[in-house]
Amino acid sequence: MTQVLRQIVLLSGKDLRIEARSRQTLGLVAVLGVLIVVVLGLGLGPERVKSGMAATAVLWVAYLFGGVLCFEKTMAVERHDGALAGLMLAPIDRGVIYAGKLLSNLTLMLALALIVTPVAVVMFGFDLSAAPFGFAAIMAGGFVGFAAIGTLFAAAVSSTRSQGGLLAIVVFPVSLPLVIVSTQMMMRLFGEGEPLGAVGLTVLIAFDAVYLVVSWLVFELILEP
Amino acid sequence: MNTVKSKLCMAYWLVTASLFAGAVVMVFVWTPTEQTMGVVQKIFYLHLPVAINTFAACMVTFIASIGYLWQRRQVWDDLAVSSAKVAVLLCSIVLLTGMIWGHSAWGQWWTWSPRLTFSLVLWLLYVAYLVIRPSIESRQRRALVSAVYGVVAFLDVPLVYLSVKLMPDIHPSSIGLAPEMKTTLLFCFLPVTMLAVGLIAARYRLQRAETLSMQEAEDPPLDTIAADPAGGFT
Repeated sequence: MTQVLRQIVLLSGKDLRIEARSRQTLGLVAVLGVLIVVVLGLGLGPERVKSGMAATAVLWVAYLFGGVLCFEKTMAVERHDGALAGLMLAPIDRGVIYAGKLLSNLTLMLALALIVTPVAVVMFGFDLSAAPFGFAAIMAGGFVGFAAIGTLFAAAVSSTRSQGGLLAIVVFPVSLPLVIVSTQMMMRLFGEGEPLGAVGLTVLIAFDAVYLVVSWLVFELILEP
Repeated sequence: MNTVKSKLCMAYWLVTASLFAGAVVMVFVWTPTEQTMGVVQKIFYLHLPVAINTFAACMVTFIASIGYLWQRRQVWDDLAVSSAKVAVLLCSIVLLTGMIWGHSAWGQWWTWSPRLTFSLVLWLLYVAYLVIRPSIESRQRRALVSAVYGVVAFLDVPLVYLSVKLMPDIHPSSIGLAPEMKTTLLFCFLPVTMLAVGLIAARYRLQRAETLSMQEAEDPPLDTIAADPAGGFT
């Protein structure tokens, strides 16, 4: 068990070191996220922006598009110089490769959230102080499920010609239940002032479990050098 | 053999068309008109059977996708894509009939009610299935990615259903039906199911023919290459 965890951390650490040295992905997704917040803020106009609730929807749009770019980039690094073939030849379980990529994607998405969320909070006048832990819990639940599906399909479409739009088209419809649940929970938490219910959180955790188990099971089948 | 097959096909479609004609007569002549909604309510006799058949078509895609992942045989992929195409067609009908109903009942073409949202997400899931396929060049890779997506998309359906349950609902959860209405509704399932099965079968036959011709173009038989003076390298 400890060895598996060590392997996951090693694989993820490799991805994050590449990112830290190249600074390609995070810079790109952070700017994209801020741009999405600004464009939607301008599009919605001052009246609707001031309602505060628009921020959660806008944040989800930024996380979804930024997330897809993260998934693409973490898988694309394995396409250079036959790195994926080397990884597949390594004496590790394919599930470990999946878990490592998932951890890298979650870390990048967390970094994206830390940059984009304060921007949206300020620009949309969103009162995050009303329930900061509730917000974090809902977003964390959403991120895990989204990254689980994104990591799986990034591996599936990474060897195809048209990766960009294709991954978004595959991942967005599948992730919609997560978006619906988390936005409904946000509305209840911030709009109606209801405390974070156990039912909503259980549904979110159950979704994450389904996505994680299914992705982990089929990842082995689709990984090709 | 082919003549018998085409005659059977013809008979199947004739029976389906006759049943549809019978269903139309039952809906408009025999069944009483609902008092509140009026004649628009009759769309329900098409809406519900088509919705149930949409799920059935999605399930065929799911089973065929599992079949492909298990055996890696092209026939499973051909069946999966054929039923996905029919599922999208049927789901479009569900959405359109639902919108017509909604406009009459609530005065709006679209409301974010859980069931409308559910149908829309289901439609998007299977439209994405069809859209991603042409983007993948390799036949084996296309079949593999589609199979994985077909499995994940179907497992996503109950999650979509659970998630939309959290949304406020104005859609009727149960409808009281007169005995004639119930009989007509049950009868309408027959032609709609036959249509769905017939469409999947017809599309599958076409898909098989397309796949076989593509395979032949990609891997020509050895005698064709031998007969070619350039040895196949033209």
